[in-house]
Parts: sequence; C-alpha cells; structure tokens
Amino acid sequence: MSPVATERRSGPHQVLLAFYALFTLAAGARAIVQLTTQYDDAPVAYWLSLAAAVTYALGWYAIRSAAAGDTRFASVMLWVELAGVVTVGTLSLVVRDWFPDASVWSDYGIGYGFVPAVLPIAGLLWLRRQKSTHLARN
Amino acid sequence: MPSVSTQITWIVVGYAALVAVLAIVVAARGLERPSWLDQMAWMLQLLLVVRALAGLGPLLGDDHPDSTSTYVGYLFAAVCVLPIAIRSVDGDRATWSSAVLAVAAVAVGVIAVRLEMTA
Repeated sequence: MSPVATERRSGPHQVLLAFYALFTLAAGARAIVQLTTQYDDAPVAYWLSLAAAVTYALGWYAIRSAAAGDTRFASVMLWVELAGVVTVGTLSLVVRDWFPDASVWSDYGIGYGFVPAVLPIAGLLWLRRQKSTHLARN
Repeated sequence: MPSVSTQITWIVVGYAALVAVLAIVVAARGLERPSWLDQMAWMLQLLLVVRALAGLGPLLGDDHPDSTSTYVGYLFAAVCVLPIAIRSVDGDRATWSSAVLAVAAVAVGVIAVRLEMTA
C-alpha cells in the first residue's frame, strides 16, 4: 500500500468507525429484541432505539465517505444524530410518561456511559479538521 | 464460591482492561501497533470463546436466562466483535489501529459483564 493510501486509510476516523459499528450492532440488536418481545411496554422508546441504530449505520457510512474525501453526507448526518440525542435525551427527562423503558438516547445515553452524546460531537470535530485538511490539499 | 462461568467472566474483564490500557498507551505514544498487541488480542478472543462455550450451559440446562434472545445476542457479540476489529486493521500497523483494538477490548469487556448480568 502506498504511503498516501495508508495515510488516508489510517487516522482517528478508524476509532469513530469502530464506535459507530458497535453502536449500530448494540442499538439495532436491542431495538429488535425489544420490539419483538416486549413491544407494548414502551413502543416509543423502542422505535426511537431502532431510529438510533439506523442513524449509527448511516453515520458509519457518512464517516467512511468523509474519510475518502466526500464530506457532504457526514456534514448533514452528524448534525442529525446530535439533534436526535439532544431531543430524545431532553424528552426522556421532561416527558417521563413517554419512556416507561429507556431508549438508547434516553437521558443523553446514560445507559451507555454518555458515549451517544459524545460521539456526534467527536465526529463533528473530526469532520471540521477533515474539511480543512481537504481544503489545504486542494 | 462463584460459578465457573462467573470466574471466567472476571478473567475476561480483567484481561480486556489490560489489553485496552496497553493499546491506549501504544496509541498515545504514537507507536506502530506491535505484534505482541495482536497476540494479546487473540488471547483475549480465546478467553471469550471459552466464556461463550461456558455460556451455552444455561441455554442447554433447565435454568434458562430471563431473556434468551438478549443472552444469545450477547454470546454472539462476545465472539464476533474482536475478530471483526482485528480484521478491520489488518495490514495497517499505524498508530490509530491500536486505538481501534482498545475500543474493541473495552466493548468485549462490557459485553462480558452484560452477559453475566443476563445469565
């Protein structure tokens, strides 16, 4: 592999990709199990967990594309994810009745050590750096 | 005295923490990923396979887990995460590849704890 290819392949985005893959798996498996086995307990929370899993899958793809040079999708997707975490986190604190059981983003991701809240912020910081690197190269 | 599977879980958690800390140290020092880190990761994988095999006991016996689907999910994830992470950094020994192994090691440690909680 050429040094340029290695440089593009290797970087902090690898850690972000690892987290996004893990959270796609964790949120997706959790949502599917809950939706199929205990749907009536907290349907809103379980559907929101599924939405979170889809967001992580799209976030993974967005970061992969941004690492390859196309930052457009990531610029939208990471903000969508951040908005989701903030909105669901706030709703779970304000409208407790909607969340008899927790979703992935409940209480800003407290069940996952607040990683769901940190992840889009870390992604946006990386994206900002990635954009400036891309501009400097061109 | 804790059961054999519980004892294996705590060995897995301790070893995963060690792998994660060493991987973070390697990454923080900006070094290339050393081969001994790969060997430690594969040793962790071996422990996870042993834990998963021990975890088949509750499924085959009379004392089933509260949520079988959740339990099977954790069993499956416990043995899949690390090989996927190692495969993703295959041929890449740059600094950040160690950080990927650190993330995977932390993840399997957490999965092992969750597996124990759902057993």
